[in-house]
Amino acid sequence: MSSEPLAAPRPNWRRYLTWNTDHKVIGVQYIVTTFLFFLLGGVLAVLVRAELIRPGQDLVNGEEFNRLFTNHGSLMIFLWIIPVLAGFGNYLMPLMIGAQDMAFPRLNAVSYWIIPPAGFLMISSFFVGAADTGWTAYVPLSISAPDGQTLWALSVALLGVSSILGGINFITTAITMRTEGLTFDRLPLFVWGMLATSILMVVATPVLSAGLVLVALDRLVGTHFFTVAVGGDPILWQNLFWFYSHPAVYIMVLPAMGIVSEIFPVFSRKPIFGYKAIAASSMAIAVLGLLVWAHHMFSSGMDPRLRIPYMITSMIIAVPTGVKIFSWLGTIWDGKIRFNTPMLFALGFISMFLIGGITGIFLASIPVDLHVTDTYFVVAHLHFVLFGGSVSAVYAGLYYWFPKITGRMFDERLGRAHFWMNFIGTNLAYLPMFLAGLLGMPRRVADYAPEFTTLNVLASIGAFLLATSTLPFLYNAIVSWATGPRAEANPWRARTLEWQTDSPPPPNNFPVSPRVTGGPYDYGEQAPAKPLTPAPAAGK
Amino acid sequence: MAADTRAPSTPRRTGYGLVYLVLAAVTALELWITTLGLAGSVRTPIFLALSFLKASLVAAFYMHLRSDSRTYLFVFILPVAMVVVFGLVMLIR
Amino acid sequence: MTQHTLPHSEAFRAGKSLGIDHLKLGVWLFLASEVMFFGGLIAAFLHYKVNAPSSQAGLLSVPLVGANTFILLTSSFTVVQGLAAIRRGSRDGLVRYLSITILLGAIFLAGQAYEFSSLYRDGVTLQSSVFGSSFFTLTGFHGMHVFIGILWAGSTLLRAARGRYSKEDYAGVEVFGLYWHFVDIVWIVLFTIIYLV
Repeated sequence: MSSEPLAAPRPNWRRYLTWNTDHKVIGVQYIVTTFLFFLLGGVLAVLVRAELIRPGQDLVNGEEFNRLFTNHGSLMIFLWIIPVLAGFGNYLMPLMIGAQDMAFPRLNAVSYWIIPPAGFLMISSFFVGAADTGWTAYVPLSISAPDGQTLWALSVALLGVSSILGGINFITTAITMRTEGLTFDRLPLFVWGMLATSILMVVATPVLSAGLVLVALDRLVGTHFFTVAVGGDPILWQNLFWFYSHPAVYIMVLPAMGIVSEIFPVFSRKPIFGYKAIAASSMAIAVLGLLVWAHHMFSSGMDPRLRIPYMITSMIIAVPTGVKIFSWLGTIWDGKIRFNTPMLFALGFISMFLIGGITGIFLASIPVDLHVTDTYFVVAHLHFVLFGGSVSAVYAGLYYWFPKITGRMFDERLGRAHFWMNFIGTNLAYLPMFLAGLLGMPRRVADYAPEFTTLNVLASIGAFLLATSTLPFLYNAIVSWATGPRAEANPWRARTLEWQTDSPPPPNNFPVSPRVTGGPYDYGEQAPAKPLTPAPAAGK
Repeated sequence: MAADTRAPSTPRRTGYGLVYLVLAAVTALELWITTLGLAGSVRTPIFLALSFLKASLVAAFYMHLRSDSRTYLFVFILPVAMVVVFGLVMLIR
Repeated sequence: MTQHTLPHSEAFRAGKSLGIDHLKLGVWLFLASEVMFFGGLIAAFLHYKVNAPSSQAGLLSVPLVGANTFILLTSSFTVVQGLAAIRRGSRDGLVRYLSITILLGAIFLAGQAYEFSSLYRDGVTLQSSVFGSSFFTLTGFHGMHVFIGILWAGSTLLRAARGRYSKEDYAGVEVFGLYWHFVDIVWIVLFTIIYLV
């Protein structure tokens, strides 16, 4: 096991710009590419908040504003959070299960290489009469929208293909490539999270693809799927769309929960509390998540008899989610806690996801939803779960695995500064929005009644703080990757398999195929600790 | 790439042939039923049942779901169940 | 090119011990996604069949398409016979059955093309009604899948002719078969909900 620092290898940047089937390269390609889209989506958000800092359409007019928030949402969802988590899965899954690569390495590379052209399509849609319907693209508006909408639809469809192929790869890898001794009850929770996510990717995404086909046909060929005058039904689109887009939010959060499940035991020096509960809850959330989509349609004119079943299933989903939260708390309870940057972001995840999650239960209640749907209450809810939640977890993961991926250590003080700016900025940006929504401020508007001004000013200041918070992160990431202090194989003294090999790992991941003899979270055990270091395997 | 290592079921040519005859007979039966002029509420369940039978035969015997690992069956059944749920909900609206 | 310390076959040990072949699992997962894709199109078709029924549906030809259904079912039979042949070690048998499969697939597509053009002649088009839109889209995508299947059958046939498959190594044939049978199953469903019910 190499614990002495090797001569620091100069990072070979060019490797990442070409076709490569090594999952570690692909993982980094995913993460860096999607982060660029994150920054772009963030710029659009800053423009939105700059417009909204005062009532009246001062910076942009209504049409331009529609394009801004449509592309902000679309970039963030389809080109940032969903693929970045797939990037984490790509990098980590083979390492965590002791494998040398994913089950289908070339398919894996294809999944990544779909992203740059799809991103290009979405960005170019901005210049040919942009998509301006909101990321939800409701018909009939999206049928008559300008040409950019078609490019938008094509982009989303391509990204869907990437996601489906990724899901196929993850499931096959996790089932067929676990190293000797790595039974399912020893699988790291991040892998369980990716498994659950992959089920959703494979099952839900194609339905959106079908819907996009119908929209494209109506736009390009003159079919009448959504021509109301001859019997077309706009609700059909909503059903096709939300059948995917609700499970999509679990795609956006289950891997994130997996990330924080990895971090808490390490930084509390305690076994994870409720391993089986957390693993089972991931699968339960995935299956339940396929059955709740119409809670986005309570005010659509859907058949009223169906609303209550959806309300019930949507509230039930809170149970496995709550199980996770209590398990994480049980993990850190009485632990020997180290407040390094990854742990700070993981703790931030719990607090902010909790706010988002509980307000989600409010929204599941039909009477509440009818009052606050399409208001800023929903905007606040979604940003607490997605930004306060998933993005915090992504940052936690980036800091946690930074030494593994780059072989160097980041600057802890800059990490802390980033955390506090992010935490304060998130709460400042989104808490006022709950109030604005309850008081009646609609979403997706460039102009609003003057009584909402103070709340909007606060939110905009928070947003600008968030924008600024990316600077210490970027500086830290880039400079540390290039010139940071050399990291050892296992700087956090963690027990999952990726830490039992060099930082960064060699091309074949493990010089000798590991043989696993214990669970991944057995910290602080009294008996002779059973490390996961590769025993002289009964293999090659 | 070798196929899975479970003992492969003996390629039973007569088995496949029998399945084919059943599939053909059921299809002929379905076509005959269309000529009877039955009411929709009677035809629909009959046809759904018959097509479910045909699809199951193809999946179980031609696609070897019956003899292979149950994982493949689960992978196939989950989406089929979801389509049924989604389809039913779409009928209601 | 990564250097492997494990031979390729050892990498999938965990799957083998569960009786799962990674290639087959991958294909089944792909088929699962295809079930959902067709499911979306089927749901759209059924939604409109029930909620916006059209007289144009009366112009469908059950006998012609019924015959086509026999053709496709037969092609599934020939595919599985081809698989049985190579599992016995008969390369020629596989080649023969694949050829017949391609022929039957082509006849099916010809039948579909004839059905489509007669409907067009009778005024049922993609743009004529919601029925036209949903009918042609659903059956059109199915036809596309048959076409891709024929191409795949062709490439499998070429490889078989060159001796690529054997009694010990026929996974590629099996995987093609899974796709073809799936396309057949989709047709069974489509035939029922479009033409019979």
